Amino acid sequence: MRRWFTCFAVFALGWGVAGCGQRPAATASAGWRAEMKQVRFAVRGAESDPTMATLWSVYRDYLSKAIGLPVKLYESSDYNGAIQALSSGQVDMALIAGGGYANVDAQVGDKVAPILTIRQAEGSMGYYSALLVKKDSPIHSLADMKGRSLGYVDFNSTSGYLYPRAKMREQGIEPDTFFGKTSFAGGHVQAVMGLENGQFDAAIVEEGGGDPAHGFTTGPQFTMARRGLVDLKDFRTVWVVGPIPNAVFVTRTDRPQPFIDIVRGAMAALPYDQPDIWRETGQKDGGAYAAVDRGFYAEVIKLRAADIAQRRSGGSAKASKPS
Amino acid sequence: MRAWLPLAAILSLVALSAQAASLRIAAVTGSAGACHALEAGAPAGETAYFRLLETRLGRDILTCPVVDRAAAAQALASGAVDIAVLDPAAYALVKAKTRAILTVRPIGGLNRIPVVVATKATGPVPDLAALRGKSVVFGGSAQAALAVPRQALADQGAGPGFFSREDVAADANAAAARLRSGAAGVLALNAADWERLCQGERTQDNSCGDLKVIWRGRPRATLALVVRRDIPDELRFRLIGIHVAMHIEAKPAFAWASSWAPQAAEFEPTEAEALALAAR
Repeated sequence: MRRWFTCFAVFALGWGVAGCGQRPAATASAGWRAEMKQVRFAVRGAESDPTMATLWSVYRDYLSKAIGLPVKLYESSDYNGAIQALSSGQVDMALIAGGGYANVDAQVGDKVAPILTIRQAEGSMGYYSALLVKKDSPIHSLADMKGRSLGYVDFNSTSGYLYPRAKMREQGIEPDTFFGKTSFAGGHVQAVMGLENGQFDAAIVEEGGGDPAHGFTTGPQFTMARRGLVDLKDFRTVWVVGPIPNAVFVTRTDRPQPFIDIVRGAMAALPYDQPDIWRETGQKDGGAYAAVDRGFYAEVIKLRAADIAQRRSGGSAKASKPS
Repeated sequence: MRAWLPLAAILSLVALSAQAASLRIAAVTGSAGACHALEAGAPAGETAYFRLLETRLGRDILTCPVVDRAAAAQALASGAVDIAVLDPAAYALVKAKTRAILTVRPIGGLNRIPVVVATKATGPVPDLAALRGKSVVFGGSAQAALAVPRQALADQGAGPGFFSREDVAADANAAAARLRSGAAGVLALNAADWERLCQGERTQDNSCGDLKVIWRGRPRATLALVVRRDIPDELRFRLIGIHVAMHIEAKPAFAWASSWAPQAAEFEPTEAEALALAAR
């Protein structure tokens, strides 16, 4: 009799059936929250696009409810902020571009893993990089850019630096010597602003919501046009490369597995459970999150390593912040 | 006798605890039986699946033999099992108490993208059924532009013969032009094409103010993993999170768990009513 009461006491103390000789049932469900206390989520700053502020706010609230822990957003003003926070373990998860993940992978390897990216309605899981010029520019091709000034987005930008440079090299153009001057604008919207203001002859920025054959509907100039800051008709696209693997949700792999599973499950369920919120956050209708792993970003990882090796062996980016 | 009452109560609590700590999966075997742990000779894929769930959920995973999908649905609704693969007919029996959470995307298949059916805004058109006999135009011949809207319409009872004529325009803009000109009475686009069609250059712009959405919904799933509606969100999200990555993280488990779907590429989440016959 005493033995049964011992079992009951153990049960009452929260051990479930474990005290009666069976496997612990609740080990994975409660303790990890006490361990984590909060979820730290690194995102890019939203100062240039109000839609992003909505997106982060919605993600924070939604994930906090799903995970059962407060979610604290760490907004960084540049690409490197999220990369370093993730690599150092100061945050638990982040939404970053493929090039950013490649940087993290080079620093800490499998301590950070991709979990989800967007699959668009038509099945693509990528976006594009486009060379934009002003509509009255004499530049009509990449070749016309010889000796001209180019605005990159950021050293860690996939579509605004890494990917187009690799594709230029594939086409026989060495980006470190071909252009007269290169600059880092600091962001995609800033790159379009620099182009609009005449700081450089062309800017290389992300484009999405379509493809080269059908045109694009998302990208910094579209964001700015919706806010009345520019007129889409003022720009012309002269060169497009891609698709580039979409931005990715990553988590630290040394965090509790239930946390990772909940984040992946809750985010994957979002467009189906709450389609209005999905659209409200600027996500495209018909898109959904799909699970990915490191292999999905293998090309970006390879391109980044090659770009760094190229610059170390031969030249430098010769890029500077626009004055 | 009275002395044994506390023990009986304790035993009941322990039994309830054990039940709550397990995940019971309905298995259509042609005959009913009690839930039990997987037997030693179970297929390797099934064993891998059960081990994966056991490890990730920290619960015992039990298999529960049921006669057929209808019996699985009833067992799910009554609380005798926790998860079952149902078809629309079986789901219809228990839809008040259950919801779909996952289906399978086939190799080469798209997301279950929503479809928009629209007419000109002039004139009252209460619902999809009222469009019978009108002509419909689709926005292209790609899978997302034609096969997906056709499937969604057929799922809603607007399959072959429902419309007087079907046209396939070059793209969404051309299809909308046919609707606006009166050459077609109904426009059927996937939601991504509809969004692009209607997105103006500025935030406040709406290029589709002259059109009216009559119906919007996803193609119905043919089979789905279904749980009770009162399942805690945490368990539902964990189940989804484990399943959507299974094709990457545990291939043998995925092959067995998705064997009810042909050419399975991956699990994908669903809306609650993914198996419902009615308009969503």
